[in-house]
Amino acid sequence: MNLKDCINFNDFRKLAKKKLPSPIFHYIDGAADDEVTYQRNTSAFNEVDLVPNVLRGVENVDLSTTIFGKKLDLPFYCSPTALQRLFHYQGERAVGKAAQKFNTMFGVSSLATVSVEEISSMIDTPKLFQFYYHKDKGLNNAILERVKAAKFDVMALTVDTITGGNRERDLRTGFTSPPKLTLASLFSFATKPMWGINYVTRGKFELPHLQDHVKEGTSTATSIGNYFTKMLDQSMNWKDAENLCSKWGGHFALKGIMSVEDAKRAVDIGCSGIMVSNHGGRQLDGARSPFDQLAEIVDAVGDKVDVICEGGIQRGTHMLKALSLGAKACAGGRLYLYALAAAGQAGVERALNQYRVELERDMKLMGCTKISDLNRKNLRFRKT
Amino acid sequence: MNLKNCYNFEDFRKLAKKKLPSPIFHYIDGGADDESTLRRNTDSFNDCDLVPNVLASVGKPDLSTTLFGRKIDMPIFLSPAAMQRLYHPDGDRASARAAEKFNTFYSMSSMGNNTIEEVSNISGGPKLFQLYVHKDRSISDDLIERSRRSGFDAMCLTVDTLVAGNREKDHRTGFTTPPKLTLESLISFAMRPQWVFNYLTGKKFELANVKKKTDKGTNIAKSVIEYINEQYDPAMGWKDAEYCAKKWNGPFALKGVMSVEDAKRAIDIGCTAVMISNHGGRQLDGSRSPFDQVKAISDAVGDKLEIILDGGVRRGTHVLKAIAAGAKACSFGKMFLFSLAAGGQQGVERLLQNMHDEINRNMVLMGCKDLKELNSSKLIYRNRK
Repeated sequence: MNLKDCINFNDFRKLAKKKLPSPIFHYIDGAADDEVTYQRNTSAFNEVDLVPNVLRGVENVDLSTTIFGKKLDLPFYCSPTALQRLFHYQGERAVGKAAQKFNTMFGVSSLATVSVEEISSMIDTPKLFQFYYHKDKGLNNAILERVKAAKFDVMALTVDTITGGNRERDLRTGFTSPPKLTLASLFSFATKPMWGINYVTRGKFELPHLQDHVKEGTSTATSIGNYFTKMLDQSMNWKDAENLCSKWGGHFALKGIMSVEDAKRAVDIGCSGIMVSNHGGRQLDGARSPFDQLAEIVDAVGDKVDVICEGGIQRGTHMLKALSLGAKACAGGRLYLYALAAAGQAGVERALNQYRVELERDMKLMGCTKISDLNRKNLRFRKT
Repeated sequence: MNLKNCYNFEDFRKLAKKKLPSPIFHYIDGGADDESTLRRNTDSFNDCDLVPNVLASVGKPDLSTTLFGRKIDMPIFLSPAAMQRLYHPDGDRASARAAEKFNTFYSMSSMGNNTIEEVSNISGGPKLFQLYVHKDRSISDDLIERSRRSGFDAMCLTVDTLVAGNREKDHRTGFTTPPKLTLESLISFAMRPQWVFNYLTGKKFELANVKKKTDKGTNIAKSVIEYINEQYDPAMGWKDAEYCAKKWNGPFALKGVMSVEDAKRAIDIGCTAVMISNHGGRQLDGSRSPFDQVKAISDAVGDKLEIILDGGVRRGTHVLKAIAAGAKACSFGKMFLFSLAAGGQQGVERLLQNMHDEINRNMVLMGCKDLKELNSSKLIYRNRK
């Protein structure tokens, strides 16, 4: 199997599994506890059906949407994800360039392995920075200033990782950042020599936004769960979010909002968008899926902020359903991470292009030529 | 396993799988994307239960109905399906003759391998022609004219295939028309020598009704997907459909209507029927199943249009549920194609006999003397208030 055999999400996943040492694959692939929420994030889409309209004349389809004041050519973008150079030596450089090629937004994590300065000099398309609120206020300020100086368009504060999720696959495989060889993982690393060669020869693994401030994750091996639990500020509250929002002074979002009440408070503190997300099922297992919760949130705040549906999306039709409910855009991590692991920039480009082609085809089959044509009349819920 | 062991959909499917080279089997068997709509088309029948009435002195129920102005002996018929000679050397000849024997509709696809005239000569039974609007409008005009001259009873225009669906099984098997040998498929062809023998010794494979107008799909190996994307007009609108209906000037259906709104517009442009269909789950995955949608459409337009449910039907009870929910008749493609592959005309006849017997038996068990007695009072939906 190679890249040209990958025609859907699951193909990329298979190829990634073949290429990555197992602790790293399972870090991407795994989720919290029994992974019930992880599965529900996708299966939720199957409880609502699309109802197309015919004979509409659909030669030309416009997939563009505007979020955070930026026009994107596609109604989906790459969510911020940590540690990308572990998945492919090109890491954020690959994802950023692919996102630029399709003129969609690139999300960069606080735990990114390429600096905001480099990314900013590399691509001129919309960029979002994902912020973890650390105990170390000096670190928080330093990151904020760097991201501002690097002229990122959006700041998104993650609010669903106040403590580490129970990612049992990581416990079993012993996944840490930076990767640590254990007896159990040795075999897996040994059977993927290309990964090992790239890891050792393609530049030092770094977390450039953190390494001047913390040892954990950069020079001291730690699991991501431990990192959250130990380094992030568990006393973070609405006042802190509001302060950060005003200090940033630009488009600001909360990532990981699930309740209507919180969505309304996000409006009150000055957010211009929210990501309805449960962190890809990696934090609170049993949490509601973003798609299941989307309609209520859109009804409450959709006219005031950009609502983004993040989690479980694997198909163009999933995006159509979320957009029909009123999401302004969709986002995903695994959506492009398996493709990154499978083949670097070429992989991410192939994945983004496939979703674009699917969406365009599905729009035509729905009888729609622009995203604003999609609405709830297109949908029927099976359980009413 | 052979034909006399085939009692239901799954049996015919298994036998077809045994007989067909795998790219061809999967072309019939596959759906779009994750095939969730393909599965839902059948699963949706299971979210609804039949409620029988007992002691109804049924005797021998009357299964006949009228459709497109013809009386048919049972409320099921064969959907139009492309390229039937890929599945059995007799192709449309087999399905047309079998349908005639049971006095119900046979349908011919624009992409059939037998000509309109040929089929009309061998079958006096009810016949429906399925039309695609090609970018070259003279192709569609020609098909309408020839269908009329050949005595077809009705015409349906397919409206859910403006672009080809994402049929991933075809990507993987490399399915094309005419079939092209690839290294991957070679073994599968080699293991079905009977199919290969028939294919090579039979009449030349061609899209018989459009061959004068286009060489696509006849001379060069083309995937069906490319054919659809090149030949069909994605700009097709209501005006084009109205033009076809007027030009045909007889019983006319849109095939692939799913929304109530579109069903109402179908009346305005002169349709006499709609086929509620998502193309057997082969186009837009995630789209609603015909059975989930049939009641809403029937409630809105059932008094003005004949409603045909197309998709997911595998059992007599499915037909009963569809009719109770407001359909006039049901049609199916995959199921009869498997029976065609399994045993040619005999296979299709066996399938139609099985379905007839199932519908008959279930009508008795429901306590219904004729199809009119099947109404929404006989159904309870599990998930609806």
